[in-house]
Amino acid sequence: MANQELKLLEDFEKNSRWFHKNIDELQKNNFVGKFVAIDNEKPIASNKDINIVIKTIEKDGKNPSLIFIEFVHPKGFTLLL
Amino acid sequence: MRLPLQVHLFAGGLRAMTRFLLISKEPHIFGSIEAIVDTGSPTTVLGSPDLKRMRVSQIQLQKLESRKEQIAYGGGLVKTKILNGAQLKFGDYFECTMPIQIPVDEIKDCNQPTILGVDFMIQNKFKLVFDPIKKEAYFESSE
Repeated sequence: MANQELKLLEDFEKNSRWFHKNIDELQKNNFVGKFVAIDNEKPIASNKDINIVIKTIEKDGKNPSLIFIEFVHPKGFTLLL
Repeated sequence: MRLPLQVHLFAGGLRAMTRFLLISKEPHIFGSIEAIVDTGSPTTVLGSPDLKRMRVSQIQLQKLESRKEQIAYGGGLVKTKILNGAQLKFGDYFECTMPIQIPVDEIKDCNQPTILGVDFMIQNKFKLVFDPIKKEAYFESSE
């Protein structure tokens, strides 16, 4: 894998790890039921509508394809795949 | 060969998860994906939120081959297109090219994640080792 690609994936992984580590805090802080975008290990946008999150990211000049975005499920909710 | 996975408490349960770069020439896709490993799913399916992040339009999807049968996805039945030749790059560990299913029917409020299915394991001859107690998981070459 090229160095640039590796860096992109590492940044994404770092933000994913932050999300999963801080899910309890996100649930306590009004992110439940919303998509939250994480960059540099902090939330940069959130909304119930992912399209609005994507537009916010693009306005900031970032590429949403490379930004970690995940839905914050409520505590106790179980997703069956 | 081992491909390490992460184990996270996500949406009510411990899940084996992985991240990779997804690359496709036509339609053009280049993005990072987090996927849940799901041995209950025969196929790998790109989640609706990830599809939106990749900014792939319905017009671009029209050119792709359709799958005849609908799949149960996000609480409903949906039609899918097949993204042939999708490249999955797992850092320095592993990469492969395989078909991925893309849901084309819009499901309201769908937040279903991307699923890495059994087709990935069959194509790459992987077995899954998942230890929820130790929160360890990895794919291992079964050859």
